[in-house]
Amino acid sequence: MSEEIKNQNEVLDENNNTNEKKKGFLFYVGSFFKTIFRWFRRMFFGASKELSDEDKFKIENLESPAKMAAQTFFKRKLAVGALVVLFLLFALVFIGPLFVKIDLNYTDKTQANIAPNYSMRSIPSGLKNNIRSISGTGSFTVGVSNDNELYIWGYAKDALTKHNYAKLPEGLDKNNVLYAAAGTDHVVAITTEGKIYCWGDNSLAQCGYGNEAGMLYMPDEWLEDDFRLDVTKIQQLECGNQATALVYDNKVYYWGNPRSIMNMSELNGLTNIKKVAFSGYYTFVLTNDGKIDGGVSIFGREVGYSNKKDESGKNTKISNFKKYVNNIGVLDIAAVSDVYCFILTDGEMVVTGAFRYNEDVFPVLSEGEKPVKIISGQKHFIMLSDKNKAYSWGLNDKNQASFSGVEANEIFAGSKQSYIANDGKLIKSYGLKGYFFGTDSLGRDILTRIIHGGKMTMTIGAVAVIISTIIAIIIGVISGYFGGWVDMLLMRVSEIVSAIPFLPFAMLLSHVLTYTTVSENTRIFIIMLILGILSWTGLAHMIRGQVLAEREKDFVLAAKAMGVKETKIAFRHILPNVVSIILVSVTLDFAGCLLTESSLSYLGFGVQLPRPTWGNMLNGAKNDITISNFWWQWVFPAIFLGIATICINIIGDTLRDVLDPKSSRSK
Amino acid sequence: MFKYVVKRILYILLIFFILSFVLFMVYNMIPIDKAYTETQNELKGYKGSKEAFNWAERYDYWQRYYGENGSKFERYLRWMGLYPYEYANGTTKFNGILEGNLGTSTQYNKPVKEVIIPPMKNTIFINIFATILGLGITIPLGIFCAVKRGSKRDVAVQVGTIIGYSLPTFIIAIVFMFFFSIVLKWFPVSGAHTNTGYFEMTPMQQFWNRMYYLVLPLMVMTFCSLGGMTRYVRASMIEALSLDCIRTARAKGLKERVVIYSHAWRNALIPIVTLIIGWFLGIFSGSMMIEHIFSLNGIGEFYYKALNVNDNEVILALQLFYIVIGLFGNLVIDIAYGFIDPRIRVNK
Repeated sequence: MSEEIKNQNEVLDENNNTNEKKKGFLFYVGSFFKTIFRWFRRMFFGASKELSDEDKFKIENLESPAKMAAQTFFKRKLAVGALVVLFLLFALVFIGPLFVKIDLNYTDKTQANIAPNYSMRSIPSGLKNNIRSISGTGSFTVGVSNDNELYIWGYAKDALTKHNYAKLPEGLDKNNVLYAAAGTDHVVAITTEGKIYCWGDNSLAQCGYGNEAGMLYMPDEWLEDDFRLDVTKIQQLECGNQATALVYDNKVYYWGNPRSIMNMSELNGLTNIKKVAFSGYYTFVLTNDGKIDGGVSIFGREVGYSNKKDESGKNTKISNFKKYVNNIGVLDIAAVSDVYCFILTDGEMVVTGAFRYNEDVFPVLSEGEKPVKIISGQKHFIMLSDKNKAYSWGLNDKNQASFSGVEANEIFAGSKQSYIANDGKLIKSYGLKGYFFGTDSLGRDILTRIIHGGKMTMTIGAVAVIISTIIAIIIGVISGYFGGWVDMLLMRVSEIVSAIPFLPFAMLLSHVLTYTTVSENTRIFIIMLILGILSWTGLAHMIRGQVLAEREKDFVLAAKAMGVKETKIAFRHILPNVVSIILVSVTLDFAGCLLTESSLSYLGFGVQLPRPTWGNMLNGAKNDITISNFWWQWVFPAIFLGIATICINIIGDTLRDVLDPKSSRSK
Repeated sequence: MFKYVVKRILYILLIFFILSFVLFMVYNMIPIDKAYTETQNELKGYKGSKEAFNWAERYDYWQRYYGENGSKFERYLRWMGLYPYEYANGTTKFNGILEGNLGTSTQYNKPVKEVIIPPMKNTIFINIFATILGLGITIPLGIFCAVKRGSKRDVAVQVGTIIGYSLPTFIIAIVFMFFFSIVLKWFPVSGAHTNTGYFEMTPMQQFWNRMYYLVLPLMVMTFCSLGGMTRYVRASMIEALSLDCIRTARAKGLKERVVIYSHAWRNALIPIVTLIIGWFLGIFSGSMMIEHIFSLNGIGEFYYKALNVNDNEVILALQLFYIVIGLFGNLVIDIAYGFIDPRIRVNK
């Protein structure tokens, strides 16, 4: 305000000066108004803002201690670097969660223990314009081009068993593959001559041979070296989780682990089959005359409902549902982890199973449009209509089911990817690209958990520090300023608190909390309280010492003489003088609280899983299997936690040096 | 001096009773009723008709047996051994902590006193080594840094120590485990000794076997203590070196070595002694993390296991042990202060 007025006055002055000779009168009038204006202003706004040149000089020479400290602080490169890094970390963990959502209950075994990888959706260039088939169940996808070339992309490894699915078995020519399909830990390929190759993990007979009891194997003669299938009779090759199905000459052959796909043995060897589909736990078939069969396991159960309403308006049970579907006739089938979807011959679409991700909410088709083909990823469906439009629905966490009504005549699905093509040419792909920091043992994205866990860790640390600082300030100032028996009492209390062994006691309290019925949020708040209440003693002592020295100074005497209230002297006059040590201590304690929280969470006595913090993310790294095989599961949380505490400590140390005139002199 | 020590001891005792009371009250928030469980068991095993079972009488019997009758304060005193158990048959008996009864471990079905001895030995064994190693490295390093203050080596050590005390123990342990046990395969990953054939070894072999398994935990413990300790020694040494007496000593023409190790070091010792004692005692709870990660059967790991299987009397006893250790440490620090620095004795 005053600046503006000053400028106006200057402009006025200039005008007056130029016109001085011509219009002297105006100058006097101007200066008169100026004086009046100045008086007026002084009357209402005070005169302090208007300084003579002399005063300005003095002010410029004087620098407040805070400003000086700030200047010295910003001269230190290390501290500034630490500040910048810390600021970025804060931005990541407090702004990040707004963009990256987390589903706390999400687990996905097929995505477990994936190393940092970002190539899950990148179709190799040779395949891009020439797609015949794409198949994927787990972390990697296989594709076959129209030139009979086999491609494998994604994370085609297993860090624990050291299998490399991208490494082809001996004798298989990469340019000579007719069909290929991928399970979670095995790949099956059939060459143009009709020879079956199966590689990957075979511990549960995924590859169709071996001598594990209770598993399903390929027919014995298929395993012979010179056996060839008649490729014209192969109808479909499909892989599920640890299982494979081949429809050959209208007959279905299954092999793999019947504990993974539970009704496999029941359906094995059925004839007159057109198509098979795998859900996460079951398999079922479509016969040539348009009927479905899933054995007793799926369509014989009484539990589970479909989206089909019966006369009374209730959803029909699965057992009745089969009759309904088979009466009309089925055109195509597909299944996601626990939902089965059918296209009926009259164009109706029906689903049954346990809906979790809106599998029963179908996309809206235009008038007269009929679905003709349906395929499925791991938890989403893709459908093609007779007007050559592709639709998708189901789980959409990685945008794999985000499209609707896209022009295409071919659709393909990986486990969490959707590919849309026109005559073999890829138009667009949707879905999961990969995991920047890999996934943990339950298939959860580590980057997301780091972002959300960081928010939790930082919040707990910050709140705990605020609580402890407030307690320390109140107790330190009161006992330092008032002295006497108050001081005596408070210091004894602080000695008692400081004698409590921190980690064991916090663990005990957390243990006691498990017996009560507090919600997780209350529990987290109580943890903050525990951390705060157990860690104020050091700062309180420091403040007390400082206040003891300050209260002897003259300004306190002056304040007393003026009749200022005692509490006001203590908290308004003396407290600002000890702000520097509070600031340093808050910074260093913040790092300390981060460490304590993560230690508690690491031991399992802090924030409970599945809610992530940087400490309990490292909880999994307790055994050497994780440490040696899944390095990304502990390296990244450790790096983030380490960087945060190191930066905070560097800042705190520098602040101490800068704010304490004694130590900066001695440096 | 004697009067001072007695005063401190009395004061520490007071704090002990306050803390144990707080502890007992926290522990009592756990809803366990041993008398109820016992009566329930008795009812299950009761031969006659269920109606004939005198619940109230049996319940009262067990309550008295476990000392759970009476107000909370009475129960606390009973637990401490300051108030007698009043058994159902009319006899009374003092049987609390002061009489040496720490309760029974439900995990092992043995008195807590017996159960905690082996892990206690292990922890002390580990901690003595860790302390010797830690002090042997940090004190010379701290002095060196203080004397060569501002040099490149000092700066390097400063940066290293910031990292050392910023990282939590478990991260350092995981990193060390990864490099030394998994990549280089120098040391075993975890455990206290070889599982097979350990008990057939001669005592000497057993000792070396244990030491081999302890190398990695000790390395981690030392590394973790390096950060804080070195900085502390350095800071107090710098303080001491700026004293007037040091200038005088130098002016007298004393050798630099004498100035540093005799004059400055003695002045720097006072804060360091506090730290060393506090650190040694803090190690008992601090080594919990190490014991847990390396599966060493120490007090910390024992406490952790007890928490996980709800062995509540062990928890209570160990918690009390930690408090006693903490208070004892404070007492030792106070008394040591009095010995090292006569001024403190005079002041009090």
